[in-house]
Amino acid sequence: MSAVQAAAQPVAARRRSRFRIRPAKWLLNIVVILVAAFWLMPTIGLAIISLRPESLFQQSGWWTVLSAPSQLTLQNYQTLFSQGLISGGLLDSLLTSAEITVPSTLLVTIISSLTAYSIAFGRWRGRTLCFFIIIGLMVVPVQVALIPVVQLYRAFGSLTGFNPFGTVLGVIIFHVAFGLPFGIFLMNNFYGGLPRELLEAARIDGAGEWRLFSRIVLPLGLPAAASLAIFQFIWVWNDLLVALVFLGASKHFPLTIFLFDQIRTLAANYWIISTGGMVSILVPLIVFFSFQRYFVRGVLAGAVK
Amino acid sequence: MASVTFDHVVKRYTADITVVKDFNVEIKDKEFMVLVGPSGCGKSTALRMLAGLEEITEGEIRIGDRVINDIAAKDRDIAMVFQSYALYPHMSVFDNMAFPLQMQGMKKPDIEKRVRNASQILGLENFLERKPRALSGGQRQRVALGRAIVRSPKVFLLDEPLSNLDAKLRGQTRIQLQKLHRDLQTTFIYVTHDQVEAMTMGDRIAIMNGGILQQVGTPGEIYDHPANLFVASFIGSPTMNFVPATVQDGTAKASGFEVKLPKPVGAAKGTLGFRPEAVTDRVSDGGPSMEMNVDVVERLGSDQFLYGQVGGDQVTARVDPRLSVHSGDKVRLGLETHALHFFDSESELALL
Amino acid sequence: MIEAEVQPKGAVTPPAKSSRAERSGGGWRSHLGSLAFLAPGAVWLLAITIYPLVATVRNSLYDASATNFVGLDNYKAIFTTATILTTFRNNVIWVVVFPFLVTFVGLVYAVLSERIRWSTAFKTIIFVPIVFSATASALIWRSIFDLDPHVGVVNAAIQTASDWFNPPGLYPIDTSTGQTVAHLASSGVAIGTGGNLQSTTSVSAGDTVELGLIGISPTTLSTLGAQSAIEPSSSQKDITGLVWRDFSPANPSVRGVVQPDEVGLPSLQLSLLAADGSTAGTATTDAHGDFRFSNVGSGTFRVEIAPHNFQAGFTGTFWLGTQSLTPTSGLNRTEQALFNVPLVDLAMIVAYLWIWAGFAMVVIGAGLAALDRDVLEAARIDGAGEWATFRRITMPMLSPVLIVVLVTMLINVLKIFDIIINMAPGSSQEEAQTLAVVMYNSGFTGLGNWGLASAIAVILFILVVPAMVSNLSRIRG
Repeated sequence: MSAVQAAAQPVAARRRSRFRIRPAKWLLNIVVILVAAFWLMPTIGLAIISLRPESLFQQSGWWTVLSAPSQLTLQNYQTLFSQGLISGGLLDSLLTSAEITVPSTLLVTIISSLTAYSIAFGRWRGRTLCFFIIIGLMVVPVQVALIPVVQLYRAFGSLTGFNPFGTVLGVIIFHVAFGLPFGIFLMNNFYGGLPRELLEAARIDGAGEWRLFSRIVLPLGLPAAASLAIFQFIWVWNDLLVALVFLGASKHFPLTIFLFDQIRTLAANYWIISTGGMVSILVPLIVFFSFQRYFVRGVLAGAVK
Repeated sequence: MASVTFDHVVKRYTADITVVKDFNVEIKDKEFMVLVGPSGCGKSTALRMLAGLEEITEGEIRIGDRVINDIAAKDRDIAMVFQSYALYPHMSVFDNMAFPLQMQGMKKPDIEKRVRNASQILGLENFLERKPRALSGGQRQRVALGRAIVRSPKVFLLDEPLSNLDAKLRGQTRIQLQKLHRDLQTTFIYVTHDQVEAMTMGDRIAIMNGGILQQVGTPGEIYDHPANLFVASFIGSPTMNFVPATVQDGTAKASGFEVKLPKPVGAAKGTLGFRPEAVTDRVSDGGPSMEMNVDVVERLGSDQFLYGQVGGDQVTARVDPRLSVHSGDKVRLGLETHALHFFDSESELALL
Repeated sequence: MIEAEVQPKGAVTPPAKSSRAERSGGGWRSHLGSLAFLAPGAVWLLAITIYPLVATVRNSLYDASATNFVGLDNYKAIFTTATILTTFRNNVIWVVVFPFLVTFVGLVYAVLSERIRWSTAFKTIIFVPIVFSATASALIWRSIFDLDPHVGVVNAAIQTASDWFNPPGLYPIDTSTGQTVAHLASSGVAIGTGGNLQSTTSVSAGDTVELGLIGISPTTLSTLGAQSAIEPSSSQKDITGLVWRDFSPANPSVRGVVQPDEVGLPSLQLSLLAADGSTAGTATTDAHGDFRFSNVGSGTFRVEIAPHNFQAGFTGTFWLGTQSLTPTSGLNRTEQALFNVPLVDLAMIVAYLWIWAGFAMVVIGAGLAALDRDVLEAARIDGAGEWATFRRITMPMLSPVLIVVLVTMLINVLKIFDIIINMAPGSSQEEAQTLAVVMYNSGFTGLGNWGLASAIAVILFILVVPAMVSNLSRIRG
């Protein structure tokens, strides 16, 4: 084709067809939709079970609700919540969970920030060694500390008259200890990314250590601290083992033990189990959706817990 | 036949974003063609459409007589050197160069031969077992070239290959690339934003701006006969002087001087253009001249440039390096008329 | 959103060693400041983590009350108790299966989600279960895997499919108790030549025959509307008869005679077999159990009860049970302890995968997004097709991320506790238990054997050490 001919015939737009070894887009979407539906089903199933009267549980599956939506009722929730704050009840356990989780989260966040500040900006020998010890501690299982801490608490009790075993405080102390390694790691990473000149300028301006920390480092570190807090919150809220060891025989215990008791002893009481389960997952769900970005950041950082 | 033809090629992303507009150019077999222009002019996009990394919205691209619009990148028989080199980080230098041949299904002894051959040409024999992270920038670039050479493609595409190198290495590599082109006797299409690279390396240059092809020609043609104001300003360092002027009776009148135009231009006003080397300290009798208030003097040893005001306009002049001039001086300069350009004030096309 | 917010890997750098000048500048006052910041964390960690680690090792060498030294007795006990072997086996199953499974699934999901437009929604859906406790997940999945097809989704789905392909008969036998069709014969009927229930006597036109069956569920009978059994009256040219439930609540020991309180078996499908084995006719019993074969002609026949009447339907697999996936029935106890793969392990792995696949997907997704696009384009130009690019370029470049996920999940799974203790019913606990479960049980239930529990804790710790070392070297290098 000569240039003149080419100029005379504008070439129609062509779609490149790519024949790759790739299944059609619609097939892909169907597979993905199926996977997503399968993933949602368990949670939705639980929600529906908790919204059906107890008598229906053995008779028909929760999926039958699609044909008979009028089955749904809030009576399970009403029953359990109207029990009020009796020890071992749903509300009481919810409260205990909060009593354990909130202080633990706050303490871990604050102490991690302090410690990480010292490791990241301090000028003392052995910083690097401490850092590596922290990395090592991140993978230590809680089993390793359970019995000695019980012994410790007992010894403390005979010394001072107050034995933390069986109290919420005892659980908090334990959780903080095991939250610190990851917390310090996370905050240290973040602090390490802050420009050194910022602190040097502040030092020249006359700021002492405490001011440097509270006025500069801590505010700048808020995003990382938020990630840590949310991550810690969900971790402690969902814990079972530590709670079992320290509060297993107590009058007030967290939601995880409430559920555990119900499942182990009265597995047929699915109206209680499902309702309690829903309450137990609603709190982390709300926290997650409110602070999604921070949570994912916490998960991606280090990914070792 | 490994000529490359862009035939009314358009690249459009959305209704208001057209990155390449009606691009037409024919690149000859074995030619070293440079696509040059400022950032965002569409040169890289044009290259990527040729490579098969971007869809062609309209138009045809042909390699030889073959229309390649719908052919997958791997079947176009082209090789590309990326700006970032894009070496496979987990493979050794040898494996990096062997990879495309493995994809073609070539037998191991043949692969071995070709890779060793290419590594000899590029001086990589001692690095074959190393991984990219253990190589310097220049070495990595050679590996990227090697990966392209082993394929013996019809066309070599190079996307700003020198921009990540330091100045000294850049100079050496420029020469090496030109030698390579001569030895391989294959079509090279080279994209850069650096007009010096374009002028020194290309058999021909295609200048682009805002997605539109401005001019295609040899470096000499482009330098001496720029088709419009953009080309005139883009090529040549220091930049050409542009002075607004009105035309009366065949004479262009600028604010600080006037000069008789060698040919009628058919416009009453426009922009007069002349390169710094056309403004010298040699004032011929009866020839056009101007008086400059010198602001800055640049001495480069072999050259001397004067930057100053002539009338109300900024002018750059290239004078004898032995001349003694200082900032604040008033000098009389002569204008050579054989290299005058005049640009229309609306279309900016060269009328002279 | 869950879209990639990658912590640049370079951000994980250990603090630079402070130079001489840095250290001496500021004097001991600034040291004091720094150390004051360090103190709370350091004290806390020393008291509750580091000291206890040492104490546990010490406790492991002491007896149940942690007062008398017993040396390595606890460890010996661990490695010789038969139940402990099951425990190790379970830990091995988890460690070998789960990390690779979850990494694979995460990879698949990450790749899938790159190619669809609504990837954020998809990623969120998959990721969300991570915020649920393992306890909550256990209770959710326990109900899903419930034995009863009316409750458990899995068994309900299987039952629907099974009923569609193999519809159960009206009188299904209960295979779970080992009942067979032969057990149903009470009087006048026995397993015949074809393997089906046949009348024991041959009959011809004008005869009546009574077939008595037992082991029929009263619920089935009331559903089918069974009425009291009526003795058949004979009819010339026809063969008539009765099939009834040969069980009288009033006189349970009497067999073979139709009692007033016995009921007939309605809707039972029968065939009339000629002497040569061919089918001469079919009939169905009415509400009283009576049937009639009309105009049978000459010859002798036997009445056969069609086997599909007794076809068992699907009654549910006990997913949470200890049935082994591996064929170990012939092995002795110890070998079984080592090679059984209880079904409940499979169920628990699914439940745990539901929680953690999202984590793997998000981390791998971030890794995928961080890959150098130029390198993938170079592969395209070099002639690599989609699969070749994935296999030889994408995967190797992704391997550091994959290893991070693998190691994290490995550490996680070594200590697995919540899901086992909540999901495996009491009867399956012993077959399903892991080290962490045994540690809890031995240390904190019953009388509490602190020595043994500490020894198990030490073993757990030793098992995590390789992962610890791998993490340390990764951050160092």
